[in-house]
Amino acid sequence: MTALLEINDLGTGYGDVKVLHGVSIALEKGKVTAVLGANGAGKTTLFRTIAGLLPCMSGRVRFQGEDIGVLASHKRVEKGVVLVPEGRLVFPDLTVAENLRLGAINVRARAHSDDTLKTVMALFPRLEERKSQYAGTLSGGEQQMLALGRGLMAMPRVLLLDEPTLGLAPGIAKQIFSTIPELLDFGLSILIAEQDVRSTLKIADYGYVLENGLVGITGDGESLVRSPLVAQAFLGH
Amino acid sequence: MDLLLSPQLLFSALVLGSLYALIGVGLNFVYGTIRLLNIAHGDLVMIGAYAAFGLFTALGLSPMFGLPLIAGITAMIGAGLYFGLFKRQLENTTSVEQLEANSLLLFFGVSVILQNTMALLFTTSPRAYQHLDYVISIGGLDMTLSRLLALVVSLTIVFAISMFLKFSIYGLGISAIIQNRDAAKIVGIDVGRVQLGSFILGFGVAGIAGALVSLTEQISPFMGFPFTIAAFVVIILGGLGNISGGIIAGILLGFIEIYSVALTSATYRSILIYGVFVAAIMLRPQGLFGKAQT
Repeated sequence: MTALLEINDLGTGYGDVKVLHGVSIALEKGKVTAVLGANGAGKTTLFRTIAGLLPCMSGRVRFQGEDIGVLASHKRVEKGVVLVPEGRLVFPDLTVAENLRLGAINVRARAHSDDTLKTVMALFPRLEERKSQYAGTLSGGEQQMLALGRGLMAMPRVLLLDEPTLGLAPGIAKQIFSTIPELLDFGLSILIAEQDVRSTLKIADYGYVLENGLVGITGDGESLVRSPLVAQAFLGH
Repeated sequence: MDLLLSPQLLFSALVLGSLYALIGVGLNFVYGTIRLLNIAHGDLVMIGAYAAFGLFTALGLSPMFGLPLIAGITAMIGAGLYFGLFKRQLENTTSVEQLEANSLLLFFGVSVILQNTMALLFTTSPRAYQHLDYVISIGGLDMTLSRLLALVVSLTIVFAISMFLKFSIYGLGISAIIQNRDAAKIVGIDVGRVQLGSFILGFGVAGIAGALVSLTEQISPFMGFPFTIAAFVVIILGGLGNISGGIIAGILLGFIEIYSVALTSATYRSILIYGVFVAAIMLRPQGLFGKAQT
């Protein structure tokens, strides 16, 4: 069985500083795959490379069998590989509605944007209430909802969620987190990097642990929770 | 004092201000949006002015009807420069500072080439032509039709552009790129295409502004530089990429220039504009309407 998104021996970095030294990850359709690792392990670098913000210096990124590692970011979005970035990166001086409209700018999504918008508003009613407010005036949690909503507007097939609860109050973080399994109803697959290892492994079908730019341990969610190495490194016992 | 209150002076300030606003809008597409320091912008205004002059004297075509053609000429220069010089720069340069530095040098070269080519083709002597210069009197105000048209056309175009940018998905895309380039890429904006569009629009608008300028004053191959400076004052005062801020700043600059010259002497014109430029950078680098960068 071939994976929906397949990353093979990926290496990249910033100029001469290499961050990833040959990472291989496979993402199956309709599943949640987690990428775990300490700060600086290369999670965000990995996500930015898959989205095309950083060049793929060695190795391959394949989506539905096609090498997308050389495509510009917007072409990857058009194919359905969409990043919800760390730090949310909403457009602060545009309104919530304008942010969402931009989410559906790719040709494939634009035709369905009215329907998608209704679904997104149903998922995050808060965005409906705030739709004419500037994104920069939203709270952190609301901005995260907007970033997720904007990502969904692009009609992703693979959603790359980089630290979706980073910097949020625990209550809000939990609320955001609980919507993630619901996203699977959109018929997409999820690659998630998240600080909260315990909650992540609960919803993840499969996980990879990144260490110093390499894949350390892999396994399904259950086995990783039980893994003494993961427990020691992340779960604090 | 009577002079300062005269409607004549007010009208002159509005005409000049609206032209500055239009020139500023053009530069906003190239500098505000893609951060290329286009110091040849005023020279494109000059090209537009010569195109209008040439069409009128050679073919008898009124610049009013020639505007689309004139815009087309400068827009094509813009597209040519994009593909010839700047596309690779934009794709391969990651830091804004590097991009600004490289583009400054490249555009400096473009500016020198444009000025000297035009000087070779048309000599350095100033040119002017008589067109639509009958006087219309409304109330106590006498104005030539050409200046009135320059005012109306530049304001119309500036407002049309600001509406287009506010409501079209293209305009949203431009705002998005200004606010966060990486975020613009990951929502699926084809940054390269928006940049090409910005070149075409920015240069086309410069050409139109030049045609309108040629209706109101004499032209020469070296007329561009003061307009370049004026354009930078406008977009720095108005805020990078802020079109409506730029409109207000343009009109404000027109008023400052006309009224100061009326109070002092025309010889101070350049000093005044550069003075406002330096003052703007020192006092409000974030623009009159901008928030301080944090």
